[in-house]
Amino acid sequence: MSFLVLCIVLALLLAIGVPIAFALGLATLCTMLLSVDPLPAFTTMAQRMAGGINSFALLAIPLFILSGNLMARGGIARRLVNFARALVGALPGGLALVNVVACTLFGAISGSAIAATSAVGGVMIDEMRREGYGRAFGTALTAAASTTGMLIPPSNILIVYAVASGGVSVAALFLGGYIPGILLALALMFVCLAHTRRAGLRGGPRSSLADIARASFSALPSLLLIVLVIGGIVGGAFTATEAGAIAVVYAFVLAVLVYREVAPGEIADILLKSAETTAVVMLLIATSTCLSWILAYENIPQLISDTLLGFSDNPLLILLMINLVLLLVGAFMDMTPAVLVFTPIFLPVATQLGMSPLHFGIMLVMNLCIGLCSPPVGSLLFVGSAIGRTSIGEIVRPLLPMYLAMFLALMLVTYLPATAEWLPRLFGFAG
Amino acid sequence: MNLRRIIAPVDAVLQRVLALLMLLLVSCVTWQVVSRYLLGDPSSWTEELARYLLVWIGLLGAAFAYGCRAHMAIDLLQGRLGERGRALLRALIAALVLVFALLVTVLGGSSLVALTWELKQESAAMGVPMAMVYTVIPLSGLLIALYAIADIADALRGARR
Repeated sequence: MSFLVLCIVLALLLAIGVPIAFALGLATLCTMLLSVDPLPAFTTMAQRMAGGINSFALLAIPLFILSGNLMARGGIARRLVNFARALVGALPGGLALVNVVACTLFGAISGSAIAATSAVGGVMIDEMRREGYGRAFGTALTAAASTTGMLIPPSNILIVYAVASGGVSVAALFLGGYIPGILLALALMFVCLAHTRRAGLRGGPRSSLADIARASFSALPSLLLIVLVIGGIVGGAFTATEAGAIAVVYAFVLAVLVYREVAPGEIADILLKSAETTAVVMLLIATSTCLSWILAYENIPQLISDTLLGFSDNPLLILLMINLVLLLVGAFMDMTPAVLVFTPIFLPVATQLGMSPLHFGIMLVMNLCIGLCSPPVGSLLFVGSAIGRTSIGEIVRPLLPMYLAMFLALMLVTYLPATAEWLPRLFGFAG
Repeated sequence: MNLRRIIAPVDAVLQRVLALLMLLLVSCVTWQVVSRYLLGDPSSWTEELARYLLVWIGLLGAAFAYGCRAHMAIDLLQGRLGERGRALLRALIAALVLVFALLVTVLGGSSLVALTWELKQESAAMGVPMAMVYTVIPLSGLLIALYAIADIADALRGARR
């Protein structure tokens, strides 16, 4: 009964366009008022909201957002594109592959798929059009490839999952994201190759060794950020949160003092922008903490788990069903709220099927990556179509084979746990 | 209306406070690393202070972000309505946000502040009253309410035109 109220109220609020964080809070409030007196309900919710944010692990998020914002303004996109061009530019369909590699690297460093789409897209889409790839194809590819950075660390969404799942190690998740993220990029590269063969496009000129060395040298400081952060976390030198602070200091030195692409006067603005982005995530965490509390209080995860397992005891089938539901959710809801709402609901089912919380988290995020670039509510589609000056309707056609490729990569990761678990295990993190 | 005249200075103050809190947060966690590795004397209060800073940034920033319309929403319905319908819907959404802000953050938040003040709850490492940390909840609620009321007024004026 209370679950029904929760679902109906939440669906209604979301459908009319109430900001998701407030919709989660209001739906929880309505459900709570069925069984709790008003003032205690208000007070409990206020306390849980603050309690949800009051976590040391979450501190990594504002820090990585800030370092990403410093890096994104620091002219890194151009350097990474040149580096990617030196690596794969000479292959057939070179420019498309360059786009995928640059989006992947930029997404990993900046931690934001939207930043990757706008920064790399701003450089690459026009260039791809001049070489005959078509504006729509270039835009679609940029949007799809930008999602890989959500899996490749450092990744804020994996930190959100670590907190929502109640204690999966961030270091293990970071390591676990590498292979699935690279698989996603490779899947998109196959689509590029097929497209270039059909369109009869050739690669760019072969880069000389000197060119490769020059491009690598110029991109090295940005790439070093990843080595420093991930190396430090995996080696146990510092926590993910402390790595975030080190990333900020490093990005500051690089963008302001070395590359000099961020003027000291812009710092206050970057701090404010980062605080705003942080707050959007934190309010979602605050209200979804209340939601997951009421879900647990009403025993709803158990109910859903029993229903799903009663429907079939074939793990393959149930995982497929979970994936299809998540794909649908991802098409309507942004990644952070989707992870926060659906982790407490589906994680118990997945663990009952014998899936590790690590593997489930990677599968969840990878699934929602597809939603980031699919209509009706894919934020990357909006940003991409603005940057590429096309309409969303035009981008969707070239995206279709990319969805298929991404879905196949998702299935591979879903049914082969080693794709997510092998690397963390190699470094001594038990799934 | 003069509500906008109140909001402009509030915005300006919020912007400065948020940038400052963010700077403090970075310094705090950086100091934690420095004190452990370079000074060999791990500091005991940085972790707690950083967590409380995050609560303040999260909730004050949520109010600021609401004023900038930065919170994520599914805005499919809005595009399908006429100008008048869109304005009325905007007023309805702001009214719902107002209800949440007043009941949970202002009312629930103040009762939480009062409760922790009476019980004299203090934080573990720094010994600050928890009521001080929680003060940001009703504060953020009041700011969100202010933005929501201004939004309702704007939307209704637009609908009448």
